[in-house]
Amino acid sequence: MSHWSDTLPVPSGQRRDQVPRDHSIYPQLLEITLHLRQAMREHFVQLTSRQGLSLEERKHTQAIREKEALLSCLIRRMINLLQSKAASDLELQVPLPSEDSRGDVRYGERAQLSGQPDPVPQLSDCEAAFVSRDLSNRGIDISVFYQSSFQDYNAYQKDKYHKDKNTLGFINLGTSENKLCMDLMTERLQERDMNCIEDALLQYPDWRGQLFLREEVARFLTYYCRAPTQLDPENVVVLNGCCSVFSALAMVLCDPGEAFLVPAPFYSGFAFSSRLYAKVELIPVYLESEVTVTNTQPFQLTVDKLEEALLEARFEGKKVRGLVLINPQNPVGDIYSPDSLMKYLEFAKRYNLHVIIDEIYMLSVFDESIIFHSVLSMKSLPDRNRTHVIWGTSKDFGISGFRFGALYTHNKEVVSAVSAFGYLHSISGIVQHKLCQLLQNTEWIDKVYLPTNCYRLREAHKYITAKLKALEIPFHNSSSGLYVWINLKKYLDPCTFEEERLLYCRFLDNKLLLSRGKAYMCKEPGWFCLIFADELPRLKLAMCRFCDVLQEQKEALIVKQLEDAMRE
Amino acid sequence: MFTLPQKDFSAPTTCLGPACMQDLGSSHGDDLEGECSRKLDQKLPELPGVGDSAMLSPDTSYLSSRGRMIKWFWDSAEEGYRTYHMDEYDENKNPSGIINLGVSENKLCFDLLSWRLSQSDMQRVEPSLLQYADWRGHLFLREEVAKFLSFYCKSPAPLRPENVVVLNGGASLFSALATVLCEAGEAFLIPTPYYGAITQHVCLYGNVRLACVYLDSEVRVLASQVEPGRACGQEFPESGLRVVHGVKVKGLILINPQNPLGDIYSPEELQEYLVFAKRHKLHVIVDEVYMLSVFEESVGYRSVLSLERLPDPQRTHVMWATSKDFGMSGLRFGTLYTENQDVATAVASLCRYHGLSGLVQYQMAQLLRDRDWINQVYLPENHARLKAAHTYVSEELRALGIPFLSRGAGFFIWVDLRKYLPKATFEEEMLLWRRFLDNKVLLSFGKAFECKEPGWFRFVFSDQAHRLCLGMQRVRQVLAGKSQVAEDPPPSQSQEPSDQCR
Repeated sequence: MSHWSDTLPVPSGQRRDQVPRDHSIYPQLLEITLHLRQAMREHFVQLTSRQGLSLEERKHTQAIREKEALLSCLIRRMINLLQSKAASDLELQVPLPSEDSRGDVRYGERAQLSGQPDPVPQLSDCEAAFVSRDLSNRGIDISVFYQSSFQDYNAYQKDKYHKDKNTLGFINLGTSENKLCMDLMTERLQERDMNCIEDALLQYPDWRGQLFLREEVARFLTYYCRAPTQLDPENVVVLNGCCSVFSALAMVLCDPGEAFLVPAPFYSGFAFSSRLYAKVELIPVYLESEVTVTNTQPFQLTVDKLEEALLEARFEGKKVRGLVLINPQNPVGDIYSPDSLMKYLEFAKRYNLHVIIDEIYMLSVFDESIIFHSVLSMKSLPDRNRTHVIWGTSKDFGISGFRFGALYTHNKEVVSAVSAFGYLHSISGIVQHKLCQLLQNTEWIDKVYLPTNCYRLREAHKYITAKLKALEIPFHNSSSGLYVWINLKKYLDPCTFEEERLLYCRFLDNKLLLSRGKAYMCKEPGWFCLIFADELPRLKLAMCRFCDVLQEQKEALIVKQLEDAMRE
Repeated sequence: MFTLPQKDFSAPTTCLGPACMQDLGSSHGDDLEGECSRKLDQKLPELPGVGDSAMLSPDTSYLSSRGRMIKWFWDSAEEGYRTYHMDEYDENKNPSGIINLGVSENKLCFDLLSWRLSQSDMQRVEPSLLQYADWRGHLFLREEVAKFLSFYCKSPAPLRPENVVVLNGGASLFSALATVLCEAGEAFLIPTPYYGAITQHVCLYGNVRLACVYLDSEVRVLASQVEPGRACGQEFPESGLRVVHGVKVKGLILINPQNPLGDIYSPEELQEYLVFAKRHKLHVIVDEVYMLSVFEESVGYRSVLSLERLPDPQRTHVMWATSKDFGMSGLRFGTLYTENQDVATAVASLCRYHGLSGLVQYQMAQLLRDRDWINQVYLPENHARLKAAHTYVSEELRALGIPFLSRGAGFFIWVDLRKYLPKATFEEEMLLWRRFLDNKVLLSFGKAFECKEPGWFRFVFSDQAHRLCLGMQRVRQVLAGKSQVAEDPPPSQSQEPSDQCR
């Protein structure tokens, strides 16, 4: 069995079972209280989780919730007290992050309470087992969450495939990077205009981004988003990556524990950006693959679904501050039509929600018959002070190592508040110069870069989809982004997230890194995301490994079915 | 000066005491780099957490309550930006513009640095530099940093690349360390006066506070004869604990060489502080961002990494960056050295948000590797220029009979202008600062460093001679009472009192 994802790496502190047991009663009391809390929660979940309640019953449910809140609060105080005593007795901190009284979001718990599948990996066992003298509870949380999510990626970083030096290394079709135009970018970045060292670039910058770069970003977005009027550099904030922009937005738009709605499946990076620093919850608006009367397209987002998710969240007492949209969508690859976009924006306006629109793949639409409409191209936005657009060069220019992301918003308050993070998410002046030069050269972008990039994306996409068709694997996305969203349900028996994880591990054992649906908070097990924006030789080898795994998996399934049949 | 509706500010943030609210709308010099004045006092435990909604709460705001607090940080710094940037001195284009002796930047060696950074070895572009990499920093850079620090910190054993984490500047490092070492609302001790920007760095994401350990000056004679803060090395931690009664203190921040005092801790003192920290199980963050800017050989600077044995190596975390020592604050490169792998890993987990471009990482590795150039060209020249500039300003001050403090490290002199204040109040300090600004010279006032005594100013001397001379001339005019009142009122006065105060 794979060893890759079975064990969570824990920082090298002591584990609780290694802690010498003290005769003090506090740790025991603490344990009992924790059990008590768990029992109480389960009880309340039972009380409130019945479906199709009448108004009367809902009121009743509300009362139960209030009681629960009161009891929770009392128990939390008790635990905090015990925790401090237990810790001082053991001379250790017993991290019980779930008892953080400061309103930190506990994903696992919320998921449990709302009866939804876990949005992010469950870490509580691991956390409970871990005792560190040196990190804060949130430090442990950050560390463990990060490690559990990135250990496979880190393994890949240490053992990358190389056509001569490391033919048995990992191939990564799991990280959304465009490696198809490295030749063009390398060449462009070595040109003369790129290398400029001026005094001003070496001094403290304007923390919103240097004016020359913000001007260029405004001009660039005006042109490529087809904005009806010139965009204003004062509405631009430049930070070191889109995840930083998202993190900063989550900080200034939400208080800890508040939430955003996000149509799921969605880009897994948001889960980090909302959790690591900001402690904002992402509430998935589940989309379904099955086509029905109401769901006329697979993974279709409708206002009804948004509304339902919002009301449900509110009913559960959550404070929803905004809606996050990714357009072109990641991982499904859909592009929202201007009409549907308008409907989503109007929905948000109706409920006073902020809308964060991530358009990071806007120039990676490789199907020429499809036109992407940026939200910035709209004549009038329903609620311009609550509409915030994110764009960066990582995907569209394939330079994720550059660390550049930009925010465009009409809201001056948001501009100022996000700018305060300029200190912590700043970009080197030298790099700001290079970015400015890059974005400025519209001729090169239009005549050389974009056509070549789109052509190569199209070819890679064609290659991958042909393979998938031959394997009779259903997939989504035929027009944009760097990925296809594939359905491997038929290789899972039973079709569960656990089996999905095992299949994922089998790919890893075969030195192939993919992303699985669970990381995208997909509701249905069996979906994977496959990044195709890689050079053909690597892609070919990756698909060989992919086919091998599926073949083995198929054989294993047949054996299993035979065994089952024989048992009967 | 305009007045602010202070009552609305009754509980604006976790890390602000009422005393600093008067400074809110003013553009103090150091706000240019965020050295804004934030105060933490005895009332601190009663202040609400950032998550609380009671503060600055106009219902019309689009922001969350912590968002409004964050915006406040920006707006108060923004004021400073506006004043200076609207009227920046330029020898040819704007000779009557503002001379900036407020921001701690080394502007003496741009010629050397531009030359070095324009060499062909710096221009390498390769795919791996353009793609996602190890979030701790590229291995080639971490190796180079380990070698560099081993050499320049004179560590007894070679430092290890695994203990290095690379980020986009010291500010990010403070933020990340505060987040992973403290819970929200907990605190670090910091000897005060201190580089005020740290308040914002540990507060924005981390919601961590600073607990001031006040150092008394009692400077009545010239710099060479006094050593404020040094004699009380033993007491300061204890008094610090008293100040923050009720708040959990997780660590101690030491800046060495100190900013703004320009002070240097001896190995014995350092050892003493570290032992104190160990006794109280405190983390120690040692910020050595000025370690190569010690221009007086005789002061004998020792890095904490040079100590034979650290009292508590698992809780000792060292920071360094190129902003000051290589005069490249715009380059955004900072690094953490810690033997504690839990801490390194936790900080690295946040590096996704504090990453620096692969191309810059490559350039930094090339720069740090070039020991010949650093030792034979850059450092001697930089030190000579710093020394000359320092001599010039300190001579000027002596001629004026003004006491000051400076021990041959850093870019600044801590100047005692108390005798120019009619009353020993921070209002008077602010008025004097305003008179300097009206006379087109920007300085930093002591309040921005949480100094307890009104009347102290920080003069940054690491600027080109012509600007420095002009700046000092303008200072002299103000002190002699001859300053010409600016024809136009300073921009920040005419502005609507910043909107954060609604």
